[in-house]
Amino acid sequence: MLIHQFKSLCYYLLALIDRKESVNKKLFISIAITITLFSLAWIIFTPVFFPIVHADGLQTAPHRGFFAPPFNLTTPQGDIHTLANYQGAPVLIIFWASWCSVCKSTLPGLEAVYRDYAPQGFAILAVNTTNQDNLSEAKAYFQSQAYTFTMLLDPDGAVANAYQMRAVPTSILVNPDGNISDVIIGSGLTEGLLRVRLESLFTQGED
Amino acid sequence: MFPIINIGPLAIQAASFILLLSFFIGSFLTGKFSTNIGTHTEAIENGILIGLIAGILGARLGFMLKNPSIMTINPLSLFSLSPSMLDASFGILVGILTLIILAQRKHLPLWPTLDALTPFCLLIFMGIHLANFANGSAYGIPTQMPWGISLWNATRHPVQLYGFILGAVLTLALLIRTRWLKTTGFMHNGVLFSAAIAGIAVITLFTRAFNAEKFLLGQFDFYQLIAFGSLLCAMALLYVRAFPRKRKIGVIISMGSNIDPQSNFSQAEDLLADQFRIRRKSGAYLTEDVHRRPEVNPFHNKVLEIETNLPYPVLDARLKAIEKQLGRETGEKVQVALDLDILTYGDCVFKAAHHHIPSPDMLKYRYLAMPLAEMLPGFRHPATGVSIQEILEKITDQAKATRINEVENGIER
Repeated sequence: MLIHQFKSLCYYLLALIDRKESVNKKLFISIAITITLFSLAWIIFTPVFFPIVHADGLQTAPHRGFFAPPFNLTTPQGDIHTLANYQGAPVLIIFWASWCSVCKSTLPGLEAVYRDYAPQGFAILAVNTTNQDNLSEAKAYFQSQAYTFTMLLDPDGAVANAYQMRAVPTSILVNPDGNISDVIIGSGLTEGLLRVRLESLFTQGED
Repeated sequence: MFPIINIGPLAIQAASFILLLSFFIGSFLTGKFSTNIGTHTEAIENGILIGLIAGILGARLGFMLKNPSIMTINPLSLFSLSPSMLDASFGILVGILTLIILAQRKHLPLWPTLDALTPFCLLIFMGIHLANFANGSAYGIPTQMPWGISLWNATRHPVQLYGFILGAVLTLALLIRTRWLKTTGFMHNGVLFSAAIAGIAVITLFTRAFNAEKFLLGQFDFYQLIAFGSLLCAMALLYVRAFPRKRKIGVIISMGSNIDPQSNFSQAEDLLADQFRIRRKSGAYLTEDVHRRPEVNPFHNKVLEIETNLPYPVLDARLKAIEKQLGRETGEKVQVALDLDILTYGDCVFKAAHHHIPSPDMLKYRYLAMPLAEMLPGFRHPATGVSIQEILEKITDQAKATRINEVENGIER
């Protein structure tokens, strides 16, 4: 019965588009009722046919809602930093390069935010895309600005790859539970935005 | 996926680029469509642009209202060009409100304007889906189907492409139905728009099932319920617009003659009065031939508003019959015993057998606009909402129309 209904529906829709069929009230009402019934059935059966996969959120991927891909990277001084060690507090991962002017205009604002929120556990991991940068220039820039957050080196671009980084700067804000809350490409990460996000993260944590 | 298109040193986010592109193609198509069906193209195109700007400002304002702490933390960043600090729902609300206010001020008629905006809506719908595909948002649930795409650690339904392709099919249906944007393809205003909204609702309702990120209300997806509600509203609108209650509508017709016009007019009016109630009529105006042919006698013209519930083709045939009865030979343009033309048919905007309704002639010729202004000083063009005074100001036709004071035929003016 349904298939017959569906066939006649398709026939009439095609005829309508082609302007061959003029529609009377009765026909319109029958088309409308058919569409409504099919839609309702589809909505009702959606949770049955396509159950929600909770495992999705437990996977790692460089996208909002997934766990941040894990990594171990070294600072220019040789200390090893592991992302997993930062769980329990929000982390901002920002990919940057010394030749990138947008990065250079973004980082000072982040430094100001970092100084205010570091006592509460907030960390910034500034991952230098070392395979696309000059290491000595990057080091010199970082020291000249006297940044207090952590600079990390990604010498073979493996971490940038894992995060599907296509442009610098790319910023990834990670929640205390390790879930990515924002991926922001380019100049979108302003000081104000970061402060608003952290403010809401920390006040949520207090509740 | 490929979120960035590299154009030289500039990295443009593919998603924003696609959205911008769909915005421009959409407003281009709507501009074409609007010109073809006779709505106020300039006002509509400006409206889209102003609506977009207002929407973006509104989205930033919405972000500010939702995060009031930014005013104390870093108010200056509110002026930054960051695309992240936008609140979409508030922006859409502000954009639509701005459009409504603009349309009110320009007296744009609601339904013809919405019809003209239909291609724009469809292109934006397609653009959003393609943009989501480009940056991997609104991704699908895992699948074993052969056309699954590899995204975020799984082979997933390319649900964004489903939406895009179905949107493209709907757009193609619209193009065919409107004869490649030549006419709305429907007798009544608003049918095309309601049908498109119903189509968009059905597509959303269908594709949301394959979406991995669900916003659940009970055990159902919130967006599917919203789409179902929109579908019901759109179908109710479609019903109301496509099958209006049978009541008499006002039809403005013009009368012209250059052979014995006074007697022809009075005979024609008698014949019309036999079949229709004549609501009002203008006086007669004397006009030289608009094409300045020396062999053509000057014309007398007047307009009348009649009341009828006849469908347009029947009404047209009846008027042709009256023309014939008074000796009009079809195709004769020099010796015209009587010419009856339909200028407006209620507030309908459509095209029937090479005739546009409302007739574009009343925007071109003084001999139609002058009597119309006399008969209905408050007249507004049903498609553009332009007042008859503005129409008269813009007419470039040089043939003067002079009022003839007639006291015979029982008309005293």
